[in-house]
Amino acid sequence: MKRRVVITGAGVVSTIGTGVDEFWRNCLEAKSAVAPIPANWDRYAALHSRIWSPLPDIDPEYLGVARMERLQLDPGSVLALGAAREAFERAGFSIVPDAASSRVFSLAGADAARIGVYLGTGIGGAHSFLQNHTHHLYQRARATLKDYAVTRASAQDRETLDGVLALMAHGPRYHPFVVSMLMPNASSAAVAIKYSITGPNTTYCVACASGTVAVGNAYRAVRDGCVDVAVSGGCEYLNDEHGHIFRGFDVAGTLVRDCADPGAANRPFDANRSGFLFSQGGAAVLILEDLEHAQRRGATIVAEVAGFAETFDAHSMMSLAPGGEQIERMLRAALADAGVGAHDVDYINAHGTGTKNNDETEAEIIDRVFGKSVRVNSTKSLLGHAIGASGAIEILVTALSLRDQTTHICRNLDAPLRDLNFVRAAGQFDLRVGLSQSFAFGGHNAAVVLRRFS
Amino acid sequence: MNNDVQQRVLRAIAEVLERNEDGIRLDASLRDDLDFDSLKQMTLFILLEDEFQRTMPPEDMAGIVTVKDIVDFINRKLQEPALT
Repeated sequence: MKRRVVITGAGVVSTIGTGVDEFWRNCLEAKSAVAPIPANWDRYAALHSRIWSPLPDIDPEYLGVARMERLQLDPGSVLALGAAREAFERAGFSIVPDAASSRVFSLAGADAARIGVYLGTGIGGAHSFLQNHTHHLYQRARATLKDYAVTRASAQDRETLDGVLALMAHGPRYHPFVVSMLMPNASSAAVAIKYSITGPNTTYCVACASGTVAVGNAYRAVRDGCVDVAVSGGCEYLNDEHGHIFRGFDVAGTLVRDCADPGAANRPFDANRSGFLFSQGGAAVLILEDLEHAQRRGATIVAEVAGFAETFDAHSMMSLAPGGEQIERMLRAALADAGVGAHDVDYINAHGTGTKNNDETEAEIIDRVFGKSVRVNSTKSLLGHAIGASGAIEILVTALSLRDQTTHICRNLDAPLRDLNFVRAAGQFDLRVGLSQSFAFGGHNAAVVLRRFS
Repeated sequence: MNNDVQQRVLRAIAEVLERNEDGIRLDASLRDDLDFDSLKQMTLFILLEDEFQRTMPPEDMAGIVTVKDIVDFINRKLQEPALT
C-alpha cells in the first residue's frame, strides 16, 4: 500500500531572506534583491545583462557550519547544510552532538538507515572548479610574466604587462580538497555526513529542474516505503570571481537585457520581459515524511505531497519544444499520480523565468490544461533564477501558500502576456491543491503536486 | 618565540583533532604522537592558512615533523606579505 507523504519541516537560504520566516515574510511583501553585477566581471567580457540578485552576507555560525567545514566545502554545500539544519529543527528532530566530534550530529530517536537524502544541483561545485582552474592555469604563467615585467620589460611594456597580470589574478592556492568540493554529489554527502544519515543518498543534476526532480523522487521513496524520512531539496552557488558562470547564461541570451530600471527589469509573464534575473544562489531543504511516522512523532505538518511526474522533450538542449506536448503529458501524469483533476488545482507556482520562450509556452500550456481560473505566480519574479535550487524553493513557496491560504504576487507584471489568473494583489485565497513545475535545459520537465493538509 | 603564534597553532591542531589543546606538547610528533594522517595534515594547513592569512603550499611543508616545526614554519611565513 502506498503511504501518504507530508512535509514536516523546511529550511531556506535565499537572496531575499535566510530562514523560512524571514523568507516567507519577504515573499508576501514582494521584496526582491537586485544589484549591479560586480564591476570586476566587466574586465573579462562585454556582458549584456547588467544586474543580478546577490545573496546577503550570511554568518556561517548561523548556518551551523564550522570553520573547518567552510574551508573544505563549496559554498553551495554550505548553503545546503544551513537549509538542512533549519529543516531538521522545524521538523522537530532533536539534533544531538556526536560523542566523538563536535561537528557531527545525529537525529535523536530517528532510524538513520531509514532516512534518505535527495538533493538537486544544476552545476555542483562549479565555483570551486573555476577557482582552482584559474590557479592551475595562471599561477606559473603569471609568476614568469611578473618576473619578466619586473626585470626586463621597458616602462611602456611594463604598464601593459601589469594590466595583463591583473587580469590573471587567481586564488592563493590549489586546494587539496578540490575534487570533493566540486563533485556534484558533495552537497548530499555533506548533509548526510553532518547528520549521520545512512540511508539512500542521491544527487539529481537536472539543470533548472534539479530541485523539483529531487523532491519528487524523495516523495516516491517515502511513498513506496523505501525510507521513512527524506531530506530533499536543492542548492546552488552561481558566483565566481570572474563572472564566468554569469557569462555562460548571458552569452546564450537567457538573462534580462533591459536593465535601465533594475527594480522593474525582472518581469516574468509580462509582455515586456527580456530574460531571467541571474541569482547568486540559494538552497531549500524540505523534510518529507511518512504521515504515520510524522504523527507518531507529533510533528507539525506543513502540507501533503500528493503527486509527481517527469517527462523529457527530446527536442532541444536550450529551448522548450513548441506546443509543450511533453510538458502537458507530464502535468497530466502528475495530476493522475495525485488523484486529482486539472480543475482541482487552485494554484500553480510556475517555472516563470521571464524568458520570451519559456513564459509564452508555459502560459499557453497552463491555459490549455488548467484554464483561466487557477491562480498563477512566479517566485522567480522575486528571487531571480537560482537554477538547481529554484524548484525546491518554489515547492516550499507552494507548501507555505497552501498552509497559509495566501501567496505572493507576480512582481513587475504590468502587461500579462496571456489572460490567466496571475496573482497581482495580496489576499487570502481558498487554496487546496497546488502544483509547482520546472523545465530545464536539456529538455527535462517535472512537477510536484501538493495538497493542503487537514 | 612568539607565544601568540604558538597558542594559535595549538588551537588549530586541537580544532582538527577535536580535542582540548591542553596536553599538546611542542615536541609532539604530528604523525606518531598525535595520529595525524595525510588528510588531517592537509586540513591543518588549510586551517593555518585561514588563521594566519599566508599561502602554505604542500611543498613548503617538507621536513615538518613536530608541533614546534609548525610554529617555526609559521613564524617564518609571517615575514611574507599577507594574502589579499
